Amino acid sequence: MIERAMITILFYGFAAAAILLALAVTTSRNLLRAAVCLMGVLLIQAAFYLLLSADFLAGVQVLVYVGGIVVVIAFVVTLTRSSQLLMDHPSPLRMSLAFAASAGFAVVSIASLWVSALHQPGMSHSKVDSTKAIGMALLDTGKTGYVLPFEVVSVLLLAAVIGGIVIARKTPPPSQPFTTGGDKPGEADVTLPKSQRISKDGRDSR
Amino acid sequence: MIQYLAEHGPGLIHWLILSNVLFAIGIYGLLSRRNAIGILMSVELMLNSAAMNAVVFNRFLTPRAVDGEILALFVIAVAAAEAVVALAIFVALFRNRSSIDVNRMDSLKG
Repeated sequence: MIERAMITILFYGFAAAAILLALAVTTSRNLLRAAVCLMGVLLIQAAFYLLLSADFLAGVQVLVYVGGIVVVIAFVVTLTRSSQLLMDHPSPLRMSLAFAASAGFAVVSIASLWVSALHQPGMSHSKVDSTKAIGMALLDTGKTGYVLPFEVVSVLLLAAVIGGIVIARKTPPPSQPFTTGGDKPGEADVTLPKSQRISKDGRDSR
Repeated sequence: MIQYLAEHGPGLIHWLILSNVLFAIGIYGLLSRRNAIGILMSVELMLNSAAMNAVVFNRFLTPRAVDGEILALFVIAVAAAEAVVALAIFVALFRNRSSIDVNRMDSLKG
């Protein structure tokens, strides 16, 4: 009884906080502030997973998103000087068009949910140990097991790590294949002040 | 009061409406941002709300199975890979053109 009342209060409180923080992520002019708000949204998402009694998923969410992705995003925001160079002012036309698209999506999808047959009462409150079941299912080689996608995802992550290093690498040796030539002086280089330009042999002139 | 709150807990439709609203906010950011990192953050928002949809359906419709949670796990893993590659591309792009404004990325325009 008390527990169910608590779940109701927590759901609506977290929902309001998540929506406000998500609005801050999409409208904040300062990208570092937006990254911090994104961290808040992802933490609240972990709380939602806990409310849905998906404990393992909440842990993974905090580890991967909050501890990994948001930190990398904050690094790249500072690395590309985004918070100073471009304070991200969208034109009014663009903002109104984007608002129309997203509001149209929200109205149509919520209206179709409302008239659908999904009005179930509450969830069943039997506590299930989903962590053990996830572990069993991920390593199950049977018909309903997920061992093949599990291994494919590990290969995908390895490919992403190698791709990230190759793309963002500073100086590609000319003899080596599969490099992007990431350091060649581009056309935008000419507009920079002389002290920041990159000299022709690929080395930084500073 | 406690009686009322306990009887009006969030049902399936409330969870789905919440994730729809978060997804719509993500669409707004995706379309209105000019900075590529801002667009990536909006994409992360949308991926998150989609993953939450899978968990919600799993919890309400098939409480014994864990397939929705595993789908959400894979979504998180693929989102991490996507973020790494996208941010590496942004760093390389910034080094070449000293800007990651998507309005100025028009080299492929005919």
